[in-house]
Amino acid sequence: MSRATRQTPLLVVLIVALSLLVGCVAPSAPAPAAPAATQPPAPAATEPPAPAPDPMADLIKAAKAEGTLTTIALPHDWCNYGEAIEGFKAKYGIQVNELNPDGGSGDEIEAIKANKDNKGPQAPDVIDVGYGFGPQLVEEKLVQPYKVATWDSIPADSKDVDGNWFGDYYGVLAFEVNKDAVKNVPQVWADLLKPEYKGQVALSGDPRASAQAQMSVYAAALANGGSLDNVTPGLDFFKKLNEAGNFVPVIAKQATVAKGETPVIMRWDYNALADKASLAGNPEIEVVIPKDAALAGVYIQGISAYAPHPNAAKLWMEYLYSDEGQIIWLKGGCHPIRYNDLAKRGVIPADVAAKLPPAELYAKAVFPTIDQINNAKQVINDNWDKVVGANVK
Amino acid sequence: MPPERRAWEPDLLKCRSHSWTRFYGPDKTMRIRKLNIWGWVWVTAGVLYFFVPLIATFEFSLRAKKGTLSLLAYQRVLEDPQFWRTFGFSVSMGVVTILASLILIAPTAYWIRLRLPRLRPVVEFITLMPFVVPAIVLVFGLIRLYSGKPFALTNTVVGTDMLLVAGYMVLALPYMYRAVDTGLAAIDVRTLTEAAQSLGAGWGTILFRVVFPNLRAALLSGAFLTFAMVIGEFTIASFLVGMNAFGPYMSQVGQNKAYESSSLAIISFALTWALMGLIQFFNRGAPEQGQMGGAR
Amino acid sequence: MSSSSSTLLASGARRPKPATRFSWAWLGVVPFFAFATLFLFLPSFVLFVGSFQDAKGNFTLANIAGLFTPSILSAYWITIRISAVTAVAGGLFGFFLAYAGVMSGLPRWVRTSMLTFAGVASNFAGVPLAFAFIATLGRLGLVTVLLRDVFHINIYQGGFNLYGFLGLSLTYMYFQFPLMVLIITPALEGLRRDWREAAENLGATQWQYWRYVALPILLPSLLGTMILLFGNAFGAYATALALTGGMINLVTILIGSQIKGDVLHNVGLGYALALGMVVVMAVSMAGYYVLRRRSERWMRN
Repeated sequence: MSRATRQTPLLVVLIVALSLLVGCVAPSAPAPAAPAATQPPAPAATEPPAPAPDPMADLIKAAKAEGTLTTIALPHDWCNYGEAIEGFKAKYGIQVNELNPDGGSGDEIEAIKANKDNKGPQAPDVIDVGYGFGPQLVEEKLVQPYKVATWDSIPADSKDVDGNWFGDYYGVLAFEVNKDAVKNVPQVWADLLKPEYKGQVALSGDPRASAQAQMSVYAAALANGGSLDNVTPGLDFFKKLNEAGNFVPVIAKQATVAKGETPVIMRWDYNALADKASLAGNPEIEVVIPKDAALAGVYIQGISAYAPHPNAAKLWMEYLYSDEGQIIWLKGGCHPIRYNDLAKRGVIPADVAAKLPPAELYAKAVFPTIDQINNAKQVINDNWDKVVGANVK
Repeated sequence: MPPERRAWEPDLLKCRSHSWTRFYGPDKTMRIRKLNIWGWVWVTAGVLYFFVPLIATFEFSLRAKKGTLSLLAYQRVLEDPQFWRTFGFSVSMGVVTILASLILIAPTAYWIRLRLPRLRPVVEFITLMPFVVPAIVLVFGLIRLYSGKPFALTNTVVGTDMLLVAGYMVLALPYMYRAVDTGLAAIDVRTLTEAAQSLGAGWGTILFRVVFPNLRAALLSGAFLTFAMVIGEFTIASFLVGMNAFGPYMSQVGQNKAYESSSLAIISFALTWALMGLIQFFNRGAPEQGQMGGAR
Repeated sequence: MSSSSSTLLASGARRPKPATRFSWAWLGVVPFFAFATLFLFLPSFVLFVGSFQDAKGNFTLANIAGLFTPSILSAYWITIRISAVTAVAGGLFGFFLAYAGVMSGLPRWVRTSMLTFAGVASNFAGVPLAFAFIATLGRLGLVTVLLRDVFHINIYQGGFNLYGFLGLSLTYMYFQFPLMVLIITPALEGLRRDWREAAENLGATQWQYWRYVALPILLPSLLGTMILLFGNAFGAYATALALTGGMINLVTILIGSQIKGDVLHNVGLGYALALGMVVVMAVSMAGYYVLRRRSERWMRN
């Protein structure tokens, strides 16, 4: 036998041993992500309030006993969740297991269902899904009710009366524009049809799969003679956009905007603001809330009915709905659900408020109801490829 | 049969029978050039097709600092401890998956060819199934079945990693099986086995000292495919181990950071290529394929 | 199975197969079938069951019926088309590439680097690949701009569109070529020199060598790899989604939007779609198997 073939089994054994060592020693499953891939949390402009009232103390103790929280589908740049997670970890010393950062609401719901019997770190404790999923969560008994301490300051139409789900933040659909690639920044929906934007306008998702893209069509409807009950003008708008050659059928990401391939995209204002902050001028990004239609979209939170760490989950909710947590979201460009309450009490730091687009634009924002959203969903799904779909030969 | 020798040893016999001399036509020089030119043309075309997109990505990743070309995006990625941790984890999972897949699939493919040829269509169909079962269905199915009472695999680190490797093995099944099967098609399995048996070899010897050394190139191809797949795999990793694996990490960077996602793509490409070169390195010195078997 | 014994016995008498031999043989594949059952069939059983359930869990045929709408049928058709095109074209060009790298007398390092590179490239897919091609052939891509500014050829005005069928196929090739190269190279190297020499000695031209000696030997492996390429493209999801944003209706994208998405969430329909994919795969395999049996006919004694 040649020297190589004699040595090979030895080498193989060595590699297996090494890899098992690394694989087993490398912190995985229960011991989750090592700290600080993200920037350390910036000091909150408002210091956390004095020691919490008694029920909170019990909750904190129980949560710390559980020691870990499992979240799902929370990208760090979405509403500044990165800082929220790091702040939570630092404040209470609880580990956070992050699953599937790229997931959609469907992923989160399927994850709850699949992990019903699983008490391990694959089972999500808390979910953050689209507004339209509220009824399904209740019907399929996927969540457990919980009312945070600040429950009363959450607007009535953004929460389930029994506490099964509750709105967390909202944003308004905006244009994200790469100013280095585009001479004139579009200000209204009608601008997008102009020939100067040929091959430059894109969605940030598939309207049949992504709430963000679906709401873009919905917002286009509002701007073109439709209403919250009639989304068809939005489909017509995109058809015109496609026929004019302005529409690029690629899913736009921060990279494609920065490259200039899709310099004008439609997404939530907080995502656009996050891109602007992340790119830091390279290239220059402008976030435009179209003057002719401001469609607001709410997302909702829930605690899984099968959560392996229910107390940690409840503490997470308390943290997010405290003033501190709500302002962390505000820093990410999201409007936290208790925004009006915070504004009334004057606890919003001035520098944070300065980074957001002007408040008057948000005053005109319209909030569709769950039924309206679901109807629009259906219409868009049934007609998207008929109206807009590239006829691929 | 010419004596076994290392690939780097010069062989006068080889020079005489090497492919390029076979094509001496009436005008000896012309035939060589013609053959080599076509070879180089195809390879060059291939290199262009594969490298230009990589160059475009690289060019974009250099623009992290406005107005100048800089390696800032690379610096940020390489300084991120999470990058090294997740990459190391996925590499180790890749190695384990390769070995487990080889041990499962290579003997099976051999056995099917040798003794159960009628099962071949069934087995081939099974190996193509992972293409049509969506990975998300697979991972949720695995969790449902093996996280509950009798197995409770997900309650321990080792158990979860085992489940992860099992999932990867399923995804690697088509590639590994096809690679081994193609390699087996190129050697005469029956004759080799019978010759070894008539010399008194047991099954272990036949498999590991006769058949597999002949399949080295094919096994290596399968190993490469599996390794690359494991490094980049996203869905199963993201639901089983979350941010501990490289795939979810890459996806998270890709969402939030434009330049870093491009530099990460280039870095992971280069690192994986280097690691494969390392695997290939262990393979050097093997006799050239096809010299040990009898005529097909 | 008895043909192995006939090569040993000169008289060609058939030795009766002892019963124990038969049961030994089946034992050999038990690990594989056990693994496939435990980790492939059982977890994906939900595909079969869920296709016939509605959101509340009751039995229904509505999901299967829902498959026969024009948009879904056209999705199947276009997925099959792109898979077939990239399988055949990827197979052919991958084969030429493998041949060039391995057999045309190029230095050995070409072969080694080609194989290792193919290993990495075979899995370079999804968002990074889509972005790489956008950065190359998009409207502001490297090559587009180069052609426009240096050679004054505007490919977009000429009708090229990266975000269409052709662009998507071109992108798919990036992982189809390497797959073919990696798998067919051992088979190419298995073509023994002596056969070529023997053919030459008998007066065969290069073309005749290929037509009568090499290709028949390679054809089963080529077909087998092409069906693999077909499956690979058939199940591809992330690349198509990233590149075409769902504008090209592929079945995998439809499944994704049902099971994963923010919007629709009719999981039963998603499962039914996947079941349809299994059926298509089975039919393709049947066709492949017929071709393969024909190509292997000359090998049976």
